[in-house]
Amino acid sequence: MIRIPEYLAVAQWALLGALGVLVVIMFRQLGRLLTGAAKTAELGPPVGGKAAALTYARPGDPAERRLAPGEGQPLLLAFVDPTCPSCEDLVGVLGQLQAAGELASLRALLLISDPPSYLQISDVFSSTGIEIGRPVRPAGLDYYRVSATPLLVAIDDAGVVRAAGSVVRPADVRAFAQSCLLPAPEAALAVVPAVAGRGEDEQ
Amino acid sequence: MVPVVLTPAVLACKAVVAVLLVAAGGAKLADLPGFAASVSLFLPGTTARRPARTVAAGIAAGEIMAGAASLSSPRASWLNLVVLAICCGFVAVSAAGYRWHRGRSCRCLGALSRRRFNLAGLGRSVLIALGAGLATAPVAAAAIQLGPADRIGLLAGALLVAAAAFSAAAAVGRGAQDAQPGWA
Repeated sequence: MIRIPEYLAVAQWALLGALGVLVVIMFRQLGRLLTGAAKTAELGPPVGGKAAALTYARPGDPAERRLAPGEGQPLLLAFVDPTCPSCEDLVGVLGQLQAAGELASLRALLLISDPPSYLQISDVFSSTGIEIGRPVRPAGLDYYRVSATPLLVAIDDAGVVRAAGSVVRPADVRAFAQSCLLPAPEAALAVVPAVAGRGEDEQ
Repeated sequence: MVPVVLTPAVLACKAVVAVLLVAAGGAKLADLPGFAASVSLFLPGTTARRPARTVAAGIAAGEIMAGAASLSSPRASWLNLVVLAICCGFVAVSAAGYRWHRGRSCRCLGALSRRRFNLAGLGRSVLIALGAGLATAPVAAAAIQLGPADRIGLLAGALLVAAAAFSAAAAVGRGAQDAQPGWA
């Protein structure tokens, strides 16, 4: 009979256990991505409601600025953090749309909760030309229900939320940007749930 | 020399801590920006991207190498001390994170874990350090006598775990993330 060292048997079980756990994690995530069930509950403001005002400051500038939806300019708010990989994807897509002139008719704003110094950690964040702000008061944040990031919120010129959800695909982000420019009856996007791969819908 | 009845426990601690290091390193590599942010919490004045990312990548790679070496070379007792030192570092970081950055994500397992700097996290790191400490106990040579093929097999297994952890963390990281405490 072949006798294997005790340690080899123990180590093999440890490796097998770790692999088993990792496979379960991957399958669970695959299921979430396929069903679009990832963290959509309680995410984002109610579509059709009047958006709340926010107070924010730009990185490196302590002056407080007030963001008041409904003052005649459509808004595209992205609640993102430099430490979130999907947020990097969303900011990258927004940058592409801006470079293509597709955000010219609205005001896009990246809102972060991480310290401004974290912007340097991400190439995408540190090089984006989109305005960045960090909320300085909790007032108004509850309304947006940022339970997960990235969260994109489209607000029309009357201050009504037209779309809200966690999206990163260019087609979805473009649809969000367009939804806040359309007349109310046509801007009927619901909360878009899933975060999916970048560039999948590009033709 | 530990009693024979305790030998399986010592070996299990050594193997589990080593596999944990390998998996944690692989997961961190998949989420370098996130882990670099955690690293920059503990590097005063170093918020530039390159230093934080370099340190983060070094830590992740170091964990993989230490874990894989410890797993595949059980007779090298000095590796047990290296692993113990790393685990003591975890305790120190957890304690400092609990003291100064409570509630922030630690990214200890990259995107695989939503753990934050809190008392439970500190307890977990102490538990891991205790396991690493127990693994330094000497055991009978016969229990850890591995041939070259065994060692290569364990090394391959360790790299497989690192790759799986990297893939799983990358997949999880592409989903929506739990919001940072600043959004609450």
